[in-house]
Amino acid sequence: MLELDNLQKTFHPGTPNEVRALQGVSLTLDPGSFLIIIGTNGSGKSTLLNAVAGTFFVDTGKIHLAGHNITRWAEHQRARLIGRVFQNPFSGTAPSMSIAENMALAARRGRPRGFGWALNQRLREELRERVRSLNMGLEGRLDNAIGSLSGGQRQALTLLMASWLKPELLLLDEHTAALDPKSADQVIRLSHEIIQRDKLTTLMVTHSMQQAVHLGDRLIMMHQGRILSDLRGADKARAQPDDLLRRFEEIRQRDRFSPSVAELLQRAYV
Amino acid sequence: MTLFLGALTIGLILALLALGVYLSFRIFNFPDITAEGSITLGAAIAATLLVRGYGPVTATAAGFAGGVAAGAVTGILHTKCRINGLLSGILVMTALYSINLHVMSKSNVPLLNETTLATQAEKIGAAVFGGTADLNVFGWEVGVRDASMLLAVFTLISVLGVALYLFFRTNLGTAIRATGDNPQMIRAQGVSVDFILILGLGLSNGLIALGGAVLAQYQGFADVQMGIGMVVWGLASVIIGEALVGSTSVGLLITGAVMGSVLFRLLVAIALRWGLNPNDLKLITALFVFAALVGPQLLQRLTARRPVITSNPA
Ligand SMILES: Nc1ncnc2c1ncn2[C@@H]1O[C@H](COP(=O)(O)OP(=O)(O)O)[C@@H](O)[C@H]1O
Ligand SMILES: [Mg+2]
Repeated sequence: MLELDNLQKTFHPGTPNEVRALQGVSLTLDPGSFLIIIGTNGSGKSTLLNAVAGTFFVDTGKIHLAGHNITRWAEHQRARLIGRVFQNPFSGTAPSMSIAENMALAARRGRPRGFGWALNQRLREELRERVRSLNMGLEGRLDNAIGSLSGGQRQALTLLMASWLKPELLLLDEHTAALDPKSADQVIRLSHEIIQRDKLTTLMVTHSMQQAVHLGDRLIMMHQGRILSDLRGADKARAQPDDLLRRFEEIRQRDRFSPSVAELLQRAYV
Repeated sequence: MTLFLGALTIGLILALLALGVYLSFRIFNFPDITAEGSITLGAAIAATLLVRGYGPVTATAAGFAGGVAAGAVTGILHTKCRINGLLSGILVMTALYSINLHVMSKSNVPLLNETTLATQAEKIGAAVFGGTADLNVFGWEVGVRDASMLLAVFTLISVLGVALYLFFRTNLGTAIRATGDNPQMIRAQGVSVDFILILGLGLSNGLIALGGAVLAQYQGFADVQMGIGMVVWGLASVIIGEALVGSTSVGLLITGAVMGSVLFRLLVAIALRWGLNPNDLKLITALFVFAALVGPQLLQRLTARRPVITSNPA
């Protein structure tokens, strides 16, 4: 269970570059829930995921995950509970290390690391099976450096790594945006499979309306650091790409007013 | 022949320096200048303890520990106090100069009648080879002292090299390598990048200080100036090693660093023999590293001018 309580984050406060990236985001996510996040560019989607992952501390607000108050936990401490796939396929793996070594590192996510061998025969067999399940023919290349693989292959492996130790929360930030359509499809299908199979509580940011309507059991739309709408259950299941696009159009219309007017309107109507 | 063996021995001892530099510069991509102070620190601690009557193993281990502490301080300055990496190293190196003088209470500590690792190696050598008469190795006259020294150092470096290789295959060791490769990734796997950097710089400088401790015992003195230029020296060894093994696998790179250090020392011995002014040694080493750093880029730029048809690398 994830609980976000009134999260606020301002970058470069008090300077001309001040950005109020999160302006009071509250959200309660049931265990096993798969939340899709969409929103305009710069609306704070990545900032929200980074805040949950601990890339930085929020200015105000509280974050609870799986019974822990993790608001003040460092990023590497939260990693015990959180698996993560980044937008950039280069971010999630150590390029000069082998597939097997990368997987072995993920097999100890958040656990102490001592002088035991990183790879043993049993672990190799296990990870070979998991890599085989990707159907990418990588199981025969376990000792190749990950840097030699394509973005799609790296993203699929990162997903496998993030979900290896069934995390309390899986964070996916436009993790297919940098891939060609075919790889993106493959990685999305894989994500869906893993999330379903392991019933992972998931936050997934996407810019694809197709993904937004076909995946997940709940959908939020963000704008200017706030959650504008929250669709669940039947509403979510009914939502069509056109509905979402229309909603974006409304937001764009409203933005034609001066920001302060928009703010007032929003307070009054949203 | 003695000259040749001497060069080999010093090359092997300074392989510890090369391994330390490989760890900081190559694995972490961290330009750690602390090395210049920590190699002297290792020598200073070992020599001082030896003079005070401590056993050579204790003295050497204490030298290693001193290096670990120095490296850890650099790591803490960088990670916890957010000081630029290069500057952190410079600060610690500068501080170490005074600390080393305090440790030795003078600028040079000679080891005259002390039992050192070197005298112990000689003793064992004399027992094994049956006396101190010159040996005949493939038709060359070789002094027992030189031969036993070389063998002892070779054994030490082999053991440490293998140990380091094995360490890099443990859970902790792979985490260290991944930290240098992609900090964002290893953080997402629950590892504190700060902690690993402090640990790694400690290990790196520990190895370098160990090299200093052994070097002091081999040459028979510790000197406060002995660290000057050592970082570039180690870097040159690592670069030569990389060229020799031409690979990115850890085991080969460790072997390469050791071979690079030995080869570099041999080249220096030959150059000095041919009449190179010793004062120019550091200049030439610096030029060599400069060429090795710039050369590949230059080559790339030259070849990039030609239109080449390649498949899309992405
Ligand atoms: N680390 C940062 N430093 C400064 N500004 C940031 C940082 N991260 C995000 N921002 C700013 O915060 C706003 C929200 O960004 P982001 O969350 O990345 O948007 P998106 O919804 O497109 O993912 C943007 O204006 C962005 O420029
Ligand atoms: Mg984003």
